[in-house]
Amino acid sequence: MTHDKLLLSAILIGSCGLAVGGVAQAQDGASTADKRVALSNNYAGNSWRQVMLQSFDETAKQAKARGIVAEADSYTTSENQATEQAAQIQNLILQGYDAIIIDAASPTALNGAVQEACDAGVTVVSFDGIVTAPCAWRIAVDFEEMGRQQVDYLASRLPDGGNLLEIRGLAGTSVDEQIHAGIEKRVEAHDDFRIAGSVHGDWAQEVAQKGVSGLLPSLPDIAGVVTQGGDGYGAAQAFEAAGRDMPIIVLGNRQDELQWWQEQYADHGYQTLSMSIAPGVASLAFWVTQQILAGKDVPKDLTVPFLKVTQETLDSVLEETPKGSVANTIYTQQDAQSVIADATTR
Amino acid sequence: MPSILRRPWIWAWLAATATFAVTVALGSGRGAAGLAYAALSFGAFAAIVGVGQMLVISLGPGNVDLSIPATMTLSATLALKAMDGVPGTELLGLGVALLVGLGTGAANFALILLLRLPPIIATLAASLIYQSLAIWSNRGLRVKPPEALAEFATGRTLDIPNVALVGLLLSLAVWVALERGVWGRWLLAAGQNPRAARLAGVPVERVRATAYLTVSVFAAVAGFLLASFSGGAALNMGAEYLLMSIAVVIIGGTSIAGGFSNVPGIWGAAFFMFLVVSMLNTYGAGAGARSVLTGVIIIGIVIAASTKRNHA
Repeated sequence: MTHDKLLLSAILIGSCGLAVGGVAQAQDGASTADKRVALSNNYAGNSWRQVMLQSFDETAKQAKARGIVAEADSYTTSENQATEQAAQIQNLILQGYDAIIIDAASPTALNGAVQEACDAGVTVVSFDGIVTAPCAWRIAVDFEEMGRQQVDYLASRLPDGGNLLEIRGLAGTSVDEQIHAGIEKRVEAHDDFRIAGSVHGDWAQEVAQKGVSGLLPSLPDIAGVVTQGGDGYGAAQAFEAAGRDMPIIVLGNRQDELQWWQEQYADHGYQTLSMSIAPGVASLAFWVTQQILAGKDVPKDLTVPFLKVTQETLDSVLEETPKGSVANTIYTQQDAQSVIADATTR
Repeated sequence: MPSILRRPWIWAWLAATATFAVTVALGSGRGAAGLAYAALSFGAFAAIVGVGQMLVISLGPGNVDLSIPATMTLSATLALKAMDGVPGTELLGLGVALLVGLGTGAANFALILLLRLPPIIATLAASLIYQSLAIWSNRGLRVKPPEALAEFATGRTLDIPNVALVGLLLSLAVWVALERGVWGRWLLAAGQNPRAARLAGVPVERVRATAYLTVSVFAAVAGFLLASFSGGAALNMGAEYLLMSIAVVIIGGTSIAGGFSNVPGIWGAAFFMFLVVSMLNTYGAGAGARSVLTGVIIIGIVIAASTKRNHA
């Protein structure tokens, strides 16, 4: 008897669960439970990409466990070559994935493969490294705004202006051009600022440290350093080694940078600002893709907010960031829905 | 022509001196000492990997180690992970780095000797494995070096950067081995004509093995020092040392055809490679102009050095 009762209640609870699931599905559009999603990633050789891949896997695993998608796998090419990634995308089409999420090696060189995917009825969503093919969705960062905000922050801290050092990223990439354009525009607007020097740091601490060390001896006093992320700590070390006064260096959310900031603050009240695109943007891309597969009306161009760390949030962000990693946010389905809603109303 | 101009290393040093002077002049005379110090620090890393690459290139056409960046990254990643920033573990870290160097060197040579792969293919393929091991072992997390090690790597003795002292010591050892040792004679003989060397009783394969082990160990040491110097290992830390290691060898006056090596030229070239970027940055050249000018200057030096050598 007890057994039957147990069984009955189990069935009851089970069907309640199903009913709730049904309601949720009604809200979220068509079911995506049988859909297969693939991530095509062009590069894994730095900590940001590693955290990005982890974020994707984490989100994908949970979504699979909850029965939201049937499969979500990630594939990374070994050589960061557009040709190799194009071949990978063609393979993914043949394997019958319903959607391909791309962090692209090139904005244009993959367009042929992307068009093939679209023609085969595959949903293509690009993020971080976006593709320009009109049939694909793009989750982009407003990098120009990132440049503008850096200079505006320095202006608020340095009302008298001063000399700035600009650390640029990887030459020839659109991200580098966009951040630089934002910085240049705002420096023009703030008369008291002058870019006294500029080096390419390639978004790597070692390269930035080397470049700044070579340029610094010939520079006048520097009041502020504008950066692109991944290069702030290297710049700080170069200033320290040269025995120069530490300028306000805008940081890029790496754990070692944030820890250095915290130590400097404890030591002599050093304050700055840190911002970057959170590697968890991969999870946002996943949920946006899921929404598209669910039949939602999603605009082709979406914007991700960037993750900013201020003096107030420094301690809590640092606590959550694993040693040696990058500050991160994992986006949820609700986040994706609100990003889509923002883009729709704009 | 004065005999000094016939020395193959002189052109790299002349170029380094000229770029130094121009950089200081562009900065209106400020910071000559600071620039020299920075050149010594950063030149040291290029010189260490360059001296290693020189040994391999001296073995003759087709010999080159393309796994240097991956070896640097793997050695630095594993060593810093082993130390985990704990004081007193510096020697353990160095030991791990040296073992990684010996391991990758042995693996490279095994591929070349046993599978008869051309060194370019063997070291390139092996480097993909080393790089993947580095990614897999620590997922790109940046572990800080122990404080004492970081202080050593960024510190100075008698106003000379410690990393430069380490580099000079390693270079001196190689220079003595090449100029005064039997092994050096064997290496150059094998590079000039492996068949003749073998017939003359030179253990050519053993010499080649030593050269491939040495370049890997040097790369491992350079990676270990660079990670300690810059506050942690990064997965892409070795990237710029692939072309750098070959460039300093060629600019330094070592013959790309093998059989002829030159240690002093490596240092001149390493300083030059750092200073030319500093000069163009100080001048405010854009990235495109900088790459083009760097290329043109390098070609100029190589032509100057090789024509002088041929006519000498």
